Amino acid sequence: MKVKNKELKIVFFAVMILFAIFLMAPIIMLLVKSVWKDGFSFEFYASVIGQNGFFTALKNSFQIAAASAVTATVLAFIIAYGVHYTSLPKWFKSCISFIATLPMFLPTITYGFAIIYSFGKQGLLTRLLGRQLFDIYGFAGLFVGYVIYTVPVAFLLIHNTMEFIDKKTLIVSKAMGDHTVSTFWIAVLRPLLGTLAGAFIQAFFLCFTDFGIPASVGGNYEVIATMLYNQMLGGIPDFNRGAVIAMIMLIPSVGSICILQILERFNIRYNRISQAELRKNAARDFGWGCSSVLISIFIVSIFAVIFVVPFVEEWPYKTGFSFEHFAEVFQDSELLSVYGHSIFMAACTAFLGTLIAYGAALITARSSLSNGYKKAIESIALITNAIPGMVLGVAYLFVFSGTSLQNTFLLMIICNIVHYFSTPYLMMKNSLSKMNAGWETTAMLMGDSWVKTILRVVTPNALSSLIEVFSYYFINAMVTISALIFIAGARTMVLTTMIKQLQYVNRFNEVFVLSLLILATNLIAKAVFSKLANHKLLTSKQ
Amino acid sequence: MLELNNIKKSYDGVPVLKDICLKVNDGEIISILGPSGCGKTTLLNLILGIVDADDGQILYHGEDLTHVPMEKRGFNIVFQDYALFPNLNVYKNITYGLKNKPNVSSKEEVEELIDLLGLREHLSKRIDQLSGGQKQRVALARTMVMKPRILLLDEPLSALDGVIKESIKERIKTIAREYNLTTIIVTHDPEEALTLSDRVLIINQGTISQYAKPEEIVHKPKNDFVKRFILNQLEIKRNNIYALFGDNTRLAVETGGVSLL
Repeated sequence: MKVKNKELKIVFFAVMILFAIFLMAPIIMLLVKSVWKDGFSFEFYASVIGQNGFFTALKNSFQIAAASAVTATVLAFIIAYGVHYTSLPKWFKSCISFIATLPMFLPTITYGFAIIYSFGKQGLLTRLLGRQLFDIYGFAGLFVGYVIYTVPVAFLLIHNTMEFIDKKTLIVSKAMGDHTVSTFWIAVLRPLLGTLAGAFIQAFFLCFTDFGIPASVGGNYEVIATMLYNQMLGGIPDFNRGAVIAMIMLIPSVGSICILQILERFNIRYNRISQAELRKNAARDFGWGCSSVLISIFIVSIFAVIFVVPFVEEWPYKTGFSFEHFAEVFQDSELLSVYGHSIFMAACTAFLGTLIAYGAALITARSSLSNGYKKAIESIALITNAIPGMVLGVAYLFVFSGTSLQNTFLLMIICNIVHYFSTPYLMMKNSLSKMNAGWETTAMLMGDSWVKTILRVVTPNALSSLIEVFSYYFINAMVTISALIFIAGARTMVLTTMIKQLQYVNRFNEVFVLSLLILATNLIAKAVFSKLANHKLLTSKQ
Repeated sequence: MLELNNIKKSYDGVPVLKDICLKVNDGEIISILGPSGCGKTTLLNLILGIVDADDGQILYHGEDLTHVPMEKRGFNIVFQDYALFPNLNVYKNITYGLKNKPNVSSKEEVEELIDLLGLREHLSKRIDQLSGGQKQRVALARTMVMKPRILLLDEPLSALDGVIKESIKERIKTIAREYNLTTIIVTHDPEEALTLSDRVLIINQGTISQYAKPEEIVHKPKNDFVKRFILNQLEIKRNNIYALFGDNTRLAVETGGVSLL
């Protein structure tokens, strides 16, 4: 037992040191910056709060985030219900699930441009419908973008819980004489309440802290995220005031994570999951089928433009088919090297991130280390979950500017690992804690050392989860922009930050080509990783 | 009396139930017994009304129920995994149906059920604080409050261990007797079926192998399947128990002439 603890302690301290330098220090620095310039003072807070338009931006952020989060949760619920509670054909269900998660594979900044090119004055949909549906700059544009951005997250959360709801309660409720509404409440809605609230808060958090969408369609509708960006990288950068805005952005984020923790306790747990036969109901299937199709069309129609614009000569004036833009991008060595950077950064993030998440999860799920150690890891996961990417990026700017880490890939990779740590860690912990608790003891009795046991028994059995974690890190590193915008340098450009640059010079054809590249890369990566993960799962079951 | 006439059901062209004919008398306890995949759960679902038959008729006291939806048939079921509502406590689970039909059971009747099933001390507990046997009794009480015309039980004992199994068995018998309630139980355990019910329906590959009283099945098994799959198991058990108690006479296997050794 002593030996086992020693190795795990090494893992523990390695993880601790990493997060001390790259999470705690930057956040403390941020706090200091917000109250310190030649002495302690609250003047920056006072000046930011007193600034013209600050409260409007704050109110705007809250309003738009809340409206989008409610809508996204409702839409996600409708799709998830269609998947779990109807007898629609299997291919249809996989199709709508796929479309519901599709936006995850694209950077948020692309949604903005997709909205401009779909609903704008010369947009694809505007042209098809013959008139502009709404003014895209401002509330409406942000709303559409945020909804699309958060539907996938809300859908995955709801989808996951629905899988674990005992479907037989539907039959019991009917047999007890409940009306449709009561049945819906007791067998579907009530067990989902915690998750629905969780999905709303998660979506709210994402909207509140996202930078990509307001960067493209915000217009004059200022939100906190754009304010922060302008303060830091705008005409007259003011780091102290930037720090204050970052701190203010942190408050609702921390708040929402606290609420999520509390909600966790309200979640209903079914200890058995049983599949009941759903009754035949053509009207139900038709109704949910149509609603899901409408939502899917809505999502796809906005993205359709990404597939159209790069393939025409010059949108919107010359609409003949052309490969020219692709050819240009592929001949542009700068753009190609940016693509290489992205792949490199995503792969490194995925590899190192998976290692760190695995190490941390081993401590909490499969060790006899005392509770203090485990709590420390848990709190790290919680904090990373509550820190918006933009805040992290700004904080890194303060700490690492002027050091040899400034503008390096290493810093960007670590930033991504820290930023996205929470979900991979929880995925790993879940999967490790489900494994037989006696493995280490058994293997040790057979003469294995702890390291050997981990390598020979635990890792092979955790392989499919490890692959999933790898895939999660990879895809997120490909699409993330909020933190990187502050720390990527001229020589460490990645696709998302490049898109932001191209926006300045109005090279939208390239923007869409690059977006397509990201999408294609992510879809291929996802397909390959799922195949690998399933393969591992099957072979280990045999 | 419940009557099933020429019931047929297939899934994707694969027949699961072929021409099932069956009569169940009022107040009788019937067990549907068979190996996994023989169609017993489908039969249960057909009677309950969540699955439609492809062909055939279901009659109850002469009334044709074949196309009557589940909630109008007045039958009720206790699932193997109980399907209790985890957000409600024991008492609220038991009285759940009274919200919809306040007059179906009187207060005294509910109290009587609670005592009969020994749930008095657990009423304010949450579902996840209960043991398997306690959950089973809560689910049974919740269903009984609705005064079902027929009580269906899906593997009621499979998740329970030893002593609790026997006690639940007794409760089921008591309830059926007290309320003169037609009870249909699905099980894969021959011992359970033969000791719990008045008649046993043995199903194999979608057809009825034998439908008779337990004694008759033991002493006059109708075919090879009944002998090999049903009686064989019981005989092994019997011999093990004889061996355990030191009675080594080895009453080997006269029944049906099947050799065990």
